[in-house]
Amino acid sequence: MSTDMAATAAAGPVPGKGAGIEPPLLELAGVRAGYGPIEVLHGVDLAVPAGSVVALLGPNGAGKTTTLNVCCGLQRPSSGELRLAGRSVTGASAETLARLGVCTIPERRGIFPNLTVRENLWMMTQARSWPRGKQARSWSRGAQAQPGVSLRDVEEIAYARFPVLGERRGQLAGTLSGGQQQMLALTRALGTDPAVLLLDELSMGLAPRVVRELYEIVGRLAAEGMSILIVEQFARTVLPIADQVALMLHGRIVNVGAPSEVEEHLSAAYLGA
Amino acid sequence: MDQFLQYTILGLVLGGIYGIAASGLVLTCTTSGVFNFGHGSIAMLSAFLYWQVRFDWNWPTPVALVAVLGVFAPAFGALLHITIMRGLRETTEITRITVTVALTVGALALANWIWDPTVPRRFDYFFGGTNQVKIFGSRITYHELLALAAAVLIAVGLRFFFYRTRTGVGMRAVVDDPPLLQLTGGRPERLATLSWALGAMLAALAGILITPILGGALDPNALTLLVIDAFAAAVFGRLRSVPLTFLGAVVLGLANNYVLAYFPSERWTWTSNFRISLPMILLFVVLLVLPQDRLRGGTITRARERFRVPTMRSAVVWAVILVVGMFLLREIMAPAVVNTMVIGMTFAVIALSLVPLTGYAGEINLAPVSFGAIGTIIAYHYGVTGSGVDTRMTVWGLLLAAAVCAVVGALVALPALRLRGLYLALATMAFGVFVSTMVVADTVPRVLPLLHVEFSIFPNGTLNVPRPRLGPIDLADGGTFLMVITVLFAVLGVLMVALRRSGYGHRLVALKDSPAACATLGQNPVRLKLSVFMLSAAIAGLGGALMSAAMVSVNPDRFVIFVSLGLVMTVVVAGIGYVSGAFAGGLLAGVGFVALQNMFDKVGTDHASLSSLFSFLSQFSTVLPALIGIGLARNPTGFVDDIIRAFEVFRRARVMLAAGLALQAAIYLLAYTDTFSNWWFVALTVLLWGIWPRITPLVSDRLAPAVRARRAGAGALPAGPADGPAEVPLELVGVDVPLTDEHRRVLDRALGLPETAALPGDLAAVPGRVTPSAGIPPAGTLVPAP
Repeated sequence: MSTDMAATAAAGPVPGKGAGIEPPLLELAGVRAGYGPIEVLHGVDLAVPAGSVVALLGPNGAGKTTTLNVCCGLQRPSSGELRLAGRSVTGASAETLARLGVCTIPERRGIFPNLTVRENLWMMTQARSWPRGKQARSWSRGAQAQPGVSLRDVEEIAYARFPVLGERRGQLAGTLSGGQQQMLALTRALGTDPAVLLLDELSMGLAPRVVRELYEIVGRLAAEGMSILIVEQFARTVLPIADQVALMLHGRIVNVGAPSEVEEHLSAAYLGA
Repeated sequence: MDQFLQYTILGLVLGGIYGIAASGLVLTCTTSGVFNFGHGSIAMLSAFLYWQVRFDWNWPTPVALVAVLGVFAPAFGALLHITIMRGLRETTEITRITVTVALTVGALALANWIWDPTVPRRFDYFFGGTNQVKIFGSRITYHELLALAAAVLIAVGLRFFFYRTRTGVGMRAVVDDPPLLQLTGGRPERLATLSWALGAMLAALAGILITPILGGALDPNALTLLVIDAFAAAVFGRLRSVPLTFLGAVVLGLANNYVLAYFPSERWTWTSNFRISLPMILLFVVLLVLPQDRLRGGTITRARERFRVPTMRSAVVWAVILVVGMFLLREIMAPAVVNTMVIGMTFAVIALSLVPLTGYAGEINLAPVSFGAIGTIIAYHYGVTGSGVDTRMTVWGLLLAAAVCAVVGALVALPALRLRGLYLALATMAFGVFVSTMVVADTVPRVLPLLHVEFSIFPNGTLNVPRPRLGPIDLADGGTFLMVITVLFAVLGVLMVALRRSGYGHRLVALKDSPAACATLGQNPVRLKLSVFMLSAAIAGLGGALMSAAMVSVNPDRFVIFVSLGLVMTVVVAGIGYVSGAFAGGLLAGVGFVALQNMFDKVGTDHASLSSLFSFLSQFSTVLPALIGIGLARNPTGFVDDIIRAFEVFRRARVMLAAGLALQAAIYLLAYTDTFSNWWFVALTVLLWGIWPRITPLVSDRLAPAVRARRAGAGALPAGPADGPAEVPLELVGVDVPLTDEHRRVLDRALGLPETAALPGDLAAVPGRVTPSAGIPPAGTLVPAP
């Protein structure tokens, strides 16, 4: 079975941007996962088509962050499959997925507080080296193999987009303001040109103005054709940029559709009716 | 001036070596969060191995160096991380400390096993001791120059590595957030393994360089402690900064040499002791000036340690069982065994001092036996009456010992209490080393200034501590002593449980979980920690004084830091949150492993043909405690908890418990009537209680229902597991399937609420029938028949 997949996947490089054709860039099929004896995801099916923005919405405790953790490899599903560009990468470690081009900005802690801004940018360059190890190599044949990116490139992109980071390149990242920290975290998506971007609660704990600013950048990335999966509690902030909305409740996807279609189900889902 | 220069250069050399060792410690500590108390033992083992290949097998120096520094040490470090340290994530600081302490204790035992400690092993300078250069009139050997150069190179190299290479920056990133590093494509595991390999290599280098400079033969204890001296330098760098660590190391090395040069060693007999204690004294000073840590919140929310709180009733019942059991045991024990048992019980009292401090409040004292030393000294000097064979220790002497230990404990703990637990561990360890190198080493009487009395803390290196007399009860008799100490332990144990159940105990546990939350609730964390530390020190002092009285004649060896480390380790392994853990741990550390070793020795001499096997087993039993300690990484709650869980089967099988007790009584009677020896008694008892809890569920689950069924006359039981609700997990009831009355009843029963509605006849009360949902007690007894 895996050989067929290798054959289909090896046919050509993975469409990174805007191709908008066959296998979805990121796909969860029947994923179950949990913590110890408690199952949180009871069979999740979710697809992020190439070049589109999918918003994963739902109330507290619906399993959104767990879903994202499965997508980025921090959590191993107990059953089901994770596919990257049509190729199964179930069980791949987070670092392998990162090197295959899955860029994840986790909630609240997207940066290393005790490293300087510049050193943080340096850490981002790791995502673009070739995955090593036999297993990782076999995975990478299917997914996107990333050429290296240098610290100078990342720095250039980061400081051009966020001049304030350039002014503070020698400062410890932990001493930046919340908004600046999220800018630094977002730089990873800008600088390393990932295959798919996973965003978790970008707005958490930030002033509305900063949130608007950050989502402007996300919107621009989406317009450039990056495939993005956004997890957010505040639905209104993401609906404008989402192509598709998946509504999650009690560990299951209960509704998928265009933002306008799903919007009417939203309040019902949040209020638990 | 020449002398000053000479000592300055030698001080720099010593400081450089300290710096190499300390920087390795900082490296592993920052990348893996584990402060490796076993760092010194890596240095020690490497130095021994180097001696082995270089001087015993005569390998050429470069080959030997590559073998030890390039192969053995990094491999050992990496192995440590992969097999042990990696498993320490999400454990409390105490578990981490204990595991690395176990590493220290185990490495010592291993070194003494492989390299017979009675054979002196000399260690030459690199390039020999005669190859010297003259710098400003002072002679420096090539070896010392090499050490200095290596130190400078490593200091600069590490700085470069940490800030100018991606791997080095990655290592610093691991400290911050390992999952995030993964998300950026880094490999935290690989980096941590690399850092352990590098740290072990630095330790090995320090061990090999320092041995010839100190002169003399290789000594495992001294070598382990020497690198522990590097702790002071590492703390100076706040366990983070490599440059500050090297600075601290240089201060340490210089101070050491200036004391050697300028303190009059003839007039002040304590000078050489002072020099040995200097690093630990400096460690204290550094702790005093370190700025306060921010109070942390609940950082260990997912800690794997779980201690249950016993009820007062069970505490009292067990206390009575302990006293009665000990009384029965005493009847069959030989007098020599009774004395050993007394020593074991005094160890258990010392171990009990750790229960409130470590088990409840989450602070650690690595030197409980050193407080015992203080207690011993006080009781010996100020608590003795009578003369000749009538010399006795008074109750007041014991109480004074406890009181003084409480005060000393306050002084020791105060500088470290503002800081996080690890620093208190270091402070107590420094105190322990200080006590053994300075206090109990004060054996030569001298005239005190001002008082003009001749005095020595530990006259002639042996104290003959008299047995206590408590009013009419004279403890000169071993059997009486055993019962008194057992009753004392039982009373203190019940008090500890009462303490845990009191408001004070709850505050201690709250302090362990989240000092920040504690402070916001109006508690003063420092005062709380101080009070519990004083309590703990007092109990340790009392236990120590009794231990010395039990031994009758004690020498300073009884109070070396390794005894304390072994005790702490064993108690944590047994289960430091429980009084029973202190009991088991204290007995094991005090007598258990020694008894095991003696037994193997004895059997080995009795059966000459198998003597090599038994001498192996005997040696192995010295390493065994450490292996168990390292195993703590897998089971941080301790083995007593496992035993308690195993015995829980008797709760619903009283008959089996009674049967087991009857068997035990039979075994006891056989031993009492001397039908077989006490070895058989011990072996059969262990066997019985090892097997019985395992048999019980088989018997009670298979046999009992069958018997009951036959008695009820019903031919067949209805098949238990049922229909409908069982298939849906409870948390999804109401989501996936509608909530029915049946679910409501199940919930009511689980919550102990009264029945809400009249029962439809669907849930028949068949005896032995089990409710559909798992984890809820059998329904038959609770539901009235319709």
